[in-house]
Amino acid sequence: MMRPQPRHAVWIVVVTLALIFVFLHSGLDFDYVIPKRIARLTAMLIGGAAIAWSSITFQTLTGNRILTPAIMGYEAVYLLWQALLILFMGSASLVLLGVNGNFVLSVLLMLGYSWGIHRWLFRDGKSNVYFLLLVGFVLTLLISTFTQFVQLKVSPGEFSILQGFSQASFNRAQPLQLLFSGLLVGAVCLLGRKTLPTLDVLSLGRDQAVSLGVDYRRNVRLHLALIAILVAVSTSLLGPTAFMGVFVANITYALARTFRHRVTLPLGGAIATGMFITAQLLVEHVFNYKTTVGILVNLVCGGYFLVLMVRTRGAP
Amino acid sequence: MITVHDIHKAYGAKAVLKGVDACFPARSLTSLIGPNGAGKTTLLLMIARLTAPGRGEVRIEGRPVAGIDIGEYARRVATLRQAPDFNLRLTVEELVAFGRFPYSRGALTREDQRVIDEAIAFLSLEPLRHAYLDELSGGQRQMAFLAMTIAQQTDYLLLDEPLNNLDIKHAVQIMRALRRLCDEQGRTVILVVHDINFAASYSDHIVAMKEGAVYCAGSVAEVITEARLGELYGLAFDITQGQRGRLCNYFNP
Repeated sequence: MMRPQPRHAVWIVVVTLALIFVFLHSGLDFDYVIPKRIARLTAMLIGGAAIAWSSITFQTLTGNRILTPAIMGYEAVYLLWQALLILFMGSASLVLLGVNGNFVLSVLLMLGYSWGIHRWLFRDGKSNVYFLLLVGFVLTLLISTFTQFVQLKVSPGEFSILQGFSQASFNRAQPLQLLFSGLLVGAVCLLGRKTLPTLDVLSLGRDQAVSLGVDYRRNVRLHLALIAILVAVSTSLLGPTAFMGVFVANITYALARTFRHRVTLPLGGAIATGMFITAQLLVEHVFNYKTTVGILVNLVCGGYFLVLMVRTRGAP
Repeated sequence: MITVHDIHKAYGAKAVLKGVDACFPARSLTSLIGPNGAGKTTLLLMIARLTAPGRGEVRIEGRPVAGIDIGEYARRVATLRQAPDFNLRLTVEELVAFGRFPYSRGALTREDQRVIDEAIAFLSLEPLRHAYLDELSGGQRQMAFLAMTIAQQTDYLLLDEPLNNLDIKHAVQIMRALRRLCDEQGRTVILVVHDINFAASYSDHIVAMKEGAVYCAGSVAEVITEARLGELYGLAFDITQGQRGRLCNYFNP
């Protein structure tokens, strides 16, 4: 017997939100308004799936519910790269590389960064996730400080461009980028789908997982690599989302009421997308572009998360 | 039979195991005893392949374990460490079902379900079947984890201090269950245990370790003597033989 559960309601809400987003005040303009909105919606879907998958699997690997892959320094590397581009090439870099060029280079840079630290920290058979976290955290601080240093060197006009890069936005995404990101995220999901039962076992912790016949080292490296791809794509596509993943993952756990990744990963994707659509709707129709999605996403996520905590406290 | 040969292990400059040779006979219950820091758990974790030996090797029925695929090894040797403290919300039945992972890789068959039911019945856990782990007492949790290990259907069971933090009733329940696994199902059980009286009452074989080496090993009658235990722990022992077995008294020097 399937009882209706909160997690089924999530899908209905997200689909409804998506329809509202596409058609609200559109004047049914299928030539300009609606295609533009569908492009943004696609960006949200891809970004939402990437953020949910990367955060939830990252929390499974680390056995910790207050972390996101941001702690590994991917976003810091992205921002440093944007800052350096502006510093050395000025705002001309935007024209020189083009949006697609910048996108591809950002993805490659973040992948290179993660490949480097994984290779360095997992050399000669080591697989200590906590050490990886510590190094990632220190690198994040170091790189962010360096970025701030660069920011002080650029002109105010260029600084405002940099500010733009440090906020999540759905307006940057170009069709070609969407296609590329969609293919990458889709490939990761397909590849990762087979490993979902193994991920369930990994959530029991290293020792139990090994005892149940899971090749721990291989699986951790595989999933960290998948996470790196997802974060690189979502950051290059939307910009940094920082700790949104914490909210998304924990709201997912509360609503899914199961630990199975078969349920939590798609549900997390739906929740993240729902959050994005809500924030974007507010930006477009309520705040009239006077605030940014990044700020609203955190506000919406954080607010909903608190409500969920308060509401579920007394309940079984 | 599991044998270990000339095992060495050091954490940094500190040597924890210094040339351990031991043998764990099949179809019997072997207790690893000894003071804290003797290297019992490290040795057990090496047999479980959770820690790699610095030198030497572990063999299972004469075959070096390092060459066995980890997935196959999980169908021969099951390990239970002290019930880990994770914040997953899962029921006893879901936990026990994890024991079938080495066979079904997540897709449970009817046969898997039968084994899960058996493991739950073996430990009389039916009333708790749908209870969530975080709602159970420490003893019940430990039973649930043991049921998962039983469902793994391995010839060898390794347990690291399974009686830790349990009241005497649950401790007796766990030890009786292990004894029955050995006698009724012919499984080989190896456990690290601190309570010398449990070791004396339930074991077939005892391996006593001290300072990273085997101090002595043999049957209960050979190891549980006043002289040997006295030297092993540096305490005065008084061993009485009653109708219900040996009793070691070391409480008042």
